[in-house]
Amino acid sequence: MNLKFEEFQKIKLGLKELDNIRLKSFKKFESQGFPTKKQEHWKYTDLNTIIDNNFSNLKIIEDKKSSYYNNKSLIPNFEHNRIILLNGRFIESNFSFENEKKISVKSLKNSFENKEDFKKIKYYFDDDQNSMVSLNHAFTNDGIILEIDDNYLFNKPLVIYNLFDKLSENKIVNNKVFISLGNESSLSLVDFYKCENNIKYFNNTIHNYTINKNSILKKFSINAALDNSYNYNSTKINSYSNSIFENFLLSIGPSFIKNEVHCNLLESYASCFVNGIMLLDGDQHHELKTNINHKHENCKSSQLIKSVLLDNSNATYQGKIYVNESAQKTNGYQLSKALILSEKSEFNSKPELEIYADDVKCSHGSTIGNIDENSIFYLMSRGLTKDQANKMIVEGFLNEAIETITEPNIKLLILQLFKERINKANV
Amino acid sequence: MLDINNLSASIENKKILKNFNLKIKPGEIHAIMGPNGSGKSTLANVLSGRKGYEIDGKISYEGEDLLKIPIEERAQKGVFLAFQYPIEIPGVNTNNFLKTSLNAIRKFKGLKELDSLDFLKLVKEKSKNLKIEEKILSRQLNVGFSGGEKKKNEILQMTILEPKLVILDETDSGLDIDALRIVSEGVNSLRNEKRSFLIITHYQRLLDYIKPDFVHVLVNGKIVKTGCSDLAQELEKDGYEGVTAAR
Repeated sequence: MNLKFEEFQKIKLGLKELDNIRLKSFKKFESQGFPTKKQEHWKYTDLNTIIDNNFSNLKIIEDKKSSYYNNKSLIPNFEHNRIILLNGRFIESNFSFENEKKISVKSLKNSFENKEDFKKIKYYFDDDQNSMVSLNHAFTNDGIILEIDDNYLFNKPLVIYNLFDKLSENKIVNNKVFISLGNESSLSLVDFYKCENNIKYFNNTIHNYTINKNSILKKFSINAALDNSYNYNSTKINSYSNSIFENFLLSIGPSFIKNEVHCNLLESYASCFVNGIMLLDGDQHHELKTNINHKHENCKSSQLIKSVLLDNSNATYQGKIYVNESAQKTNGYQLSKALILSEKSEFNSKPELEIYADDVKCSHGSTIGNIDENSIFYLMSRGLTKDQANKMIVEGFLNEAIETITEPNIKLLILQLFKERINKANV
Repeated sequence: MLDINNLSASIENKKILKNFNLKIKPGEIHAIMGPNGSGKSTLANVLSGRKGYEIDGKISYEGEDLLKIPIEERAQKGVFLAFQYPIEIPGVNTNNFLKTSLNAIRKFKGLKELDSLDFLKLVKEKSKNLKIEEKILSRQLNVGFSGGEKKKNEILQMTILEPKLVILDETDSGLDIDALRIVSEGVNSLRNEKRSFLIITHYQRLLDYIKPDFVHVLVNGKIVKTGCSDLAQELEKDGYEGVTAAR
């Protein structure tokens, strides 16, 4: 599967500088195509084959903006600010809980038309070996640039809704999200995905975050609804002195997800925590790849990933911790645990430590197994049926990762979505 | 209540219980003592339904063929095993587990399931009697519990579930004097003319606190001697060899 040049010619051109990047990126993508298992980072997720098997005629989404979205897609009984992206396009924002003077949100599309604005983000259109990034550079047609001033603490979480409707059917949607958090600021961000009418589409989003000195960004990536979407999300974070980045990934709904989290700890005492769960059944295929780069001394990172696989499902966790030679006193921790509950399900794990400093504390662990028979017997000897016992153990197993969430209201939301999902799974 | 007739049990072709016979009437407390490897835990496992044993013989529980009753139904029908080594289950909240267990049993009995409020009230009362800190009930099931806390948790489950037949599998091992007393008080408080106990133990110590009606000596998968509670003291003095040699 590949895309034709005619597809590229459909996009409207604007700034010459951008057009050159687009053309170069398209050529690059055209020569590489979608990633295959021959590429090390895609070893367990042959995207080219997955697309061939699931899309007969995948095209780039038309450059058309619809602004009607279903209000029911919004999260009820949960006070929050919102940004709505519909089919990748920026529709509206609402910061009624905040001091709006401290927050700036712009459509990426508008920045493409203005030389000065584009200058600010040009840096992020860097060359990348990953053809999904080239694809995104070539076709990205919107997204947001969100900037938060120094010394601003959000009162309520911000939900970025990624909504999709009929316009996205059998299409690839490419967009970008830029977030920059000033010094001494904090934001809890929910990245929420939902589509209507169970349409099939491919979403390719590249995120770039900057977390400045003493700031905290907590991100909750929620892919909870069982749907037929295909998602590639790559997030690059630059963390500065004494900042905190927390990311929890609820990877339980769509047919396909590959999430990548690349975090650069650039200055002292920056920390990064990535935790998440994958609960899959049917033919679902999810992958999480984390890449934590300790580039300076005294930084801390940890990952806890828990997965449960049923039926024919397939999950992968690739976790790399890189410590460069100047990053002394690094503290790095990584643990992946998976339960495989059917003969045909598959879990792949690739933990990697690459350490060039000599005074560091790093550990990693990875286990794959089945439910312990003794645990089932214990619960059944207290009157629980085998199904009840299994479910209780699986729920507990995954709960351990959910328990790490430090925002109580968001934890409740995630627990609720998780319960709905596990009740539909044949554990 | 319980009638074990000619029971044999083997695991991996090794015969552990051999033509074992035991009758327990309602309200009776039986103690089974025996050296390591005599088959004590196998007996507890077979009664509660643990898989992996080849079983011959008959066990009748309240007139029903116990061996044909699935594990969870045995519990629902009032059989309770206090584990020698209670299992740690990460991520499962102890209170939540207890509530699910109690409601499974209540449902079977045709009683109304308890809601969270009523349940917490009940747990509060029962755990206070057993001097169990409420804190541990909001922790993960048995995870990071000390040996004593695990055993106390078993006894708490027993007092909440109110079974008809209680099997204590070496509940006293690894307990200090205070915990031993609390465990015994839990058992004694449940003692009545309808409820029966089968206490499996190595030592006479527990039987100082819980006075059994009968003491059986189990050696090599068979009961070799039966007596009243004095037999336990004899065992303590002369050892298993002494008592069985005098036979």
